[in-house]
Amino acid sequence: MPDLADTSRPAAMRAVLSPRGVKRTAILAIFGAAVLVGPLVLDPYTVNILVRAFFVAIVAVTVDILWGYSGYLTFGQGAFFGLGAYTLAITFSELGFGPWQAIAAFGGAMLLGALVAALVGWLSFYPGSTPLYATIISLVLPIVLVQLIYSGGNFTGASSGVVGYFSFTFMTDTWFRIAGIATLAVAGLAHVLVSSDAGRLLRALRDNEMRCAYLGLDTPRLRIVVLVACAAVAAAAGAGYAAFGGIAAPENAGFIFGTQLVVMVALGGRGMLVGAIVGALSIELASAYLSSILPFMWELLVGIAFVAVIVTMPAGLFGLLGAAARRWAPWAFTAPEPVTLRTAAGRAEVAQAGTDDIVLEANDVSKSFGALTVLSGVSLTARRGELVSLVGPNGAGKTTLIRCLADGREASSGAIRIGGTATDKLPPHRVVRLGLGRKFQAASVFETLTVADCLRIARAGRDKPSLVTTSSELALPAAARSVVESSGLDARLEDEARHLSHGLKQALELAMVLALEPELVLLDEPTAGLTRAERQRFADILTDVVERERLCVLIVEHDLDFVRQISSRIVVLHQGELALDGSVDEVVNSQLVREIYSGHQVEKTGEVTQ
Amino acid sequence: MTHRLPVTLLAAGAALIAGAAQADDPIKIGVPVGLSGANSVVAPSVVQSAELAVAQINEAGGLLGRPVELVVADDGSGASGAQRAFDSLIFSDQVDALISMQTSAARNAGLPILSRGNVPYIYTSFYEGGSCHPNMFVNAWVPEQQVPPVVDHFQAEYGAETYFLIGSDYSFGRGMLEFTREYIEAAGGEVVGEEYLPMDGTDWAPIISNLRSSEADAVITSTAGGAPNVTLTRQLRDSGVNIPYANLAVDEGTAGDMGDVAAGIYISASYITGIESDENAAFLAAMEEHFGDELSTPNELSVPQYEGILAYAAAVEATGSTESAGIIEALAEVSVDGPRGTIVMDHQRHAPLTMYLGRVVEGGGVELVTEFDAVSPGEQCPDL
Amino acid sequence: MGNILLDMITTSAILFLTSAGLLVVFGVMKIINFAHAAFITVGGYATFVAHEIGLPPILGPVFAFGVGAVLGALAEWVIVRRLYARPLDAILATWGLGLILGQLVVLGFGRGVQFVPPPIQGTVAVLGTEYSLYRMVLILLAIAVGLGFTALINGTRLGLSTRAVIMNEQLAQGLGINSARVRLITFAIGCALAALAGSLLTPLTSVDPLMGLPYLIGAFMLVMVSGGSLPALAVACIVLGGMQAIISTYLGSVLGGLTIAVFAAIALRLRPEGFARA
Repeated sequence: MPDLADTSRPAAMRAVLSPRGVKRTAILAIFGAAVLVGPLVLDPYTVNILVRAFFVAIVAVTVDILWGYSGYLTFGQGAFFGLGAYTLAITFSELGFGPWQAIAAFGGAMLLGALVAALVGWLSFYPGSTPLYATIISLVLPIVLVQLIYSGGNFTGASSGVVGYFSFTFMTDTWFRIAGIATLAVAGLAHVLVSSDAGRLLRALRDNEMRCAYLGLDTPRLRIVVLVACAAVAAAAGAGYAAFGGIAAPENAGFIFGTQLVVMVALGGRGMLVGAIVGALSIELASAYLSSILPFMWELLVGIAFVAVIVTMPAGLFGLLGAAARRWAPWAFTAPEPVTLRTAAGRAEVAQAGTDDIVLEANDVSKSFGALTVLSGVSLTARRGELVSLVGPNGAGKTTLIRCLADGREASSGAIRIGGTATDKLPPHRVVRLGLGRKFQAASVFETLTVADCLRIARAGRDKPSLVTTSSELALPAAARSVVESSGLDARLEDEARHLSHGLKQALELAMVLALEPELVLLDEPTAGLTRAERQRFADILTDVVERERLCVLIVEHDLDFVRQISSRIVVLHQGELALDGSVDEVVNSQLVREIYSGHQVEKTGEVTQ
Repeated sequence: MTHRLPVTLLAAGAALIAGAAQADDPIKIGVPVGLSGANSVVAPSVVQSAELAVAQINEAGGLLGRPVELVVADDGSGASGAQRAFDSLIFSDQVDALISMQTSAARNAGLPILSRGNVPYIYTSFYEGGSCHPNMFVNAWVPEQQVPPVVDHFQAEYGAETYFLIGSDYSFGRGMLEFTREYIEAAGGEVVGEEYLPMDGTDWAPIISNLRSSEADAVITSTAGGAPNVTLTRQLRDSGVNIPYANLAVDEGTAGDMGDVAAGIYISASYITGIESDENAAFLAAMEEHFGDELSTPNELSVPQYEGILAYAAAVEATGSTESAGIIEALAEVSVDGPRGTIVMDHQRHAPLTMYLGRVVEGGGVELVTEFDAVSPGEQCPDL
Repeated sequence: MGNILLDMITTSAILFLTSAGLLVVFGVMKIINFAHAAFITVGGYATFVAHEIGLPPILGPVFAFGVGAVLGALAEWVIVRRLYARPLDAILATWGLGLILGQLVVLGFGRGVQFVPPPIQGTVAVLGTEYSLYRMVLILLAIAVGLGFTALINGTRLGLSTRAVIMNEQLAQGLGINSARVRLITFAIGCALAALAGSLLTPLTSVDPLMGLPYLIGAFMLVMVSGGSLPALAVACIVLGGMQAIISTYLGSVLGGLTIAVFAAIALRLRPEGFARA
């Protein structure tokens, strides 16, 4: 996980003084002024409503970070809010009110929220967990929590909640300013975080979690860390809510509240902090004014609006506004800063050392699904500087073999060592850290990130990204840089990946994989769908990189001409077994390969290879 | 909303504002009630009886020469809704008093706001007892008043010695049954089982199995109103449980609607429509006349609401002002002759009540079994 | 002892009835229908309406099934089919749909409890104890629903198309199967089964706007654990339902109410792919 340690003071100052920093400061000042002046112009009832709405808006921001930015649909943030509210209410009830108790209450709320979030995170996120499963667990949390509250007798006040404790005796106006500034502070911090280099990881997680894992990122841990932070903030907001309202009630922790938060964020605009805040404030305000007039109609209207927004404008109200503003008032948006390419230091000496090193050793690897064996007893060795092609007809087990090499949990039996270390039971991100890079068959990039950001994510494991600042530089190792430059991606660094052509996406993914500085690269049909010219360029880049960096490349390929052109060795798979492993000439001229490709039944492999 | 008032004045409370009001400004009574949520089933009847009380007061010339106005706000039957409702009534509508039935969670949530606004509050819902606030009065029953008639009757009539208690897992359910257990044990009986189902639970089978194997002489239940009442009653009857059965949480109307499955159930209440008194007859007739086809049948929750408004009116007349401190003092003394008889909230902000033990008859309806005069609420708020 | 055994079996039967519809939708469309609870409620109210307009009690569940199917098809057509590419959004939209249905029920029938007289009452002597006759009948009904759906999947052309879509939607489309139609029918059947469950529960419960909600989380968890297979769902219902009954009996219904959610969550953590191939 990236940390704050590397942000030196000058960098922070520079961030504030940059055009973007000036804009941020101005917006913050405007909202800050509104919060300070608010109580003077609003009627007391609205002020009261808004105080509570501010605390709700803070949780809505955490929902937006988790759902809008990182793609984890959660109904559980309400539970952390409630946890915080109860921590404060119970602390003040049991220990009385005072400065130490207040610190204990807020600190305890955040700590408890973080601990519960760690547990929930452990349950929800692990290599291979599905988003749906995590969402369902987020539903279980509030249900279990509310049940515990109900069963807590006088300690938790059961269904009636904890009430009757002494709390801060601020005037409502003071509360308004405290809560408003707290909301601004949380939103401001969240904004800095999500637009920082590290914050891009969140959107990368949302766009393509598998790609993240295969870039060596420990995605479950990342998600758990984000959840823990968001839970602590939500719990603090809950504590503030209870300090103001003088009560902690089960509904503050319940699943209905959790779903309301999602509604607020969806209506306001997910993936946009301002959308979450405005969504929360306006729903709270509107329901305060409308629910007495239209108690049932109101909920029906919210339901209809919610479905309509989800179906027709998933970006929410602010997404729509934002799109309109971009169109009609483009001058209001600062153009992205141009990105400068740089070569990352470090790799050179490794490339020269021990050129014959064995990078990959697979021993007797098998894979079966129940009774069906798709890979049996495959043994394979590959060294630095080798470009090994993996060929065979459809269903021969090529992709399965790639999967077994890249994910230590895939193989049913056998041993795989990468860079000398056994991959047994290791999840992909750990295998990647052993020096493996995997490019998928269909280009797998981060669709909503820019080209530069996609590449930065790939470097996140090596160059710790900043939690605060946004870099205008992109440091890539030589191999990745040469792919970027020779493919023409260097001219499109600021474009979002989804706008790239198929060929450029393939190049981008290759560059991302090379940015990992791997020793072993797995390429699954990298040329599928490319034009002849693109294919030729790809071959050039590949052979060049292998030669210069002394990489070991394992490539699955159908096009035998292409294979012949680039390979230093060819491995033939047939019906899940290794049929042939030899030099290009040996393989291309072998009877076996001709038979396989012409579809004839082949004898038992061992006899033919001899 | 007009211009903004200085903070200090606001904090001094609505009393000051009310004191400064013009003579023909209406006296405002706020009713925070669950128009949505769990209480929305009973809320219409509560609002109607409040409307009748206000109409009657205004027909008789108002209070202190000023008209009375009702302001109803939805509390959503829960804590956050209640805080909004209290905020809007006290600070936006600037009511002179709050009078309403609410869930315990909603009431509790409102209390801190009550302190800030410093208005008197008459709570008109039966509840589990022990809720105390300097501004709050209660004119409905607490366990001390409701449970003894049931247990006494079961002991005298059926010789019941062992009891099984079943409740919904919430404050009211647990509060009622805790008291019931203490009362039974003090009376020499034995509680052989006490089980709770979560509020939204629907399958009572394991509890009923335990009830059967306990071979208790009688069963007393205190569930959440509405659905849990119905599911428990149905499943009890469906399992062939035929021992004496008292339900502490069912109202006359629901019991009647349940039809034959409810027949034989005992209920204990401070109001049933069959009370034979001039006041009750007059009240029912006035309701009928006022609301006609729109009438929601008066019940255990709507009648105290009616009487609560009468009590407030009496307190205003007695002190000649709507100023909070005076009203709060007067509310502990004034007596109201309403459909439930004569009620004075002089027992630690609670009121002694006449309690009625009824039994649901075949085909719906409740027959009066016996009544208990002036049952004391016991120790509720010794510190007030 | 007999009582506990019967509680275990009948609890499982109720769980199976209330989650079968959700499973059907999940199995084919890979989304969780958050409106499931609302459709159970719709089933309850449909039964109430059937009673009010004088249909014989036996037709109540049939009527409920029909209403559920029509509303389900409508929901799929208007909302869900636009969200196939966004599964999490589809889930959210079904949740919104549930909200809308719930409020429509409130607007149409009020918040209060409605009463449908039970068609079967009384007890029957089984395993040396008097036990609720209707709960015994529910066991048979659950088996009937399970077998009926299995027959539909394995014995009809629609079932064949459905299985093809489950296995490989693109391939199925290539073979000329109208997968949009399969999805429409699947969603309708899923909702209809939910409504049927709501209808079959009315003798044991009340008919009120929230009557379906208590079954929702249990159904979610059971369906996730079963991994989308009907036989696995039956096993999950028997195992977790049985545990729920035992824990409710000996440790109290409060803990009993958490049994399914907690054990299923842990089970899934330990065995993410579910128990379909267990």
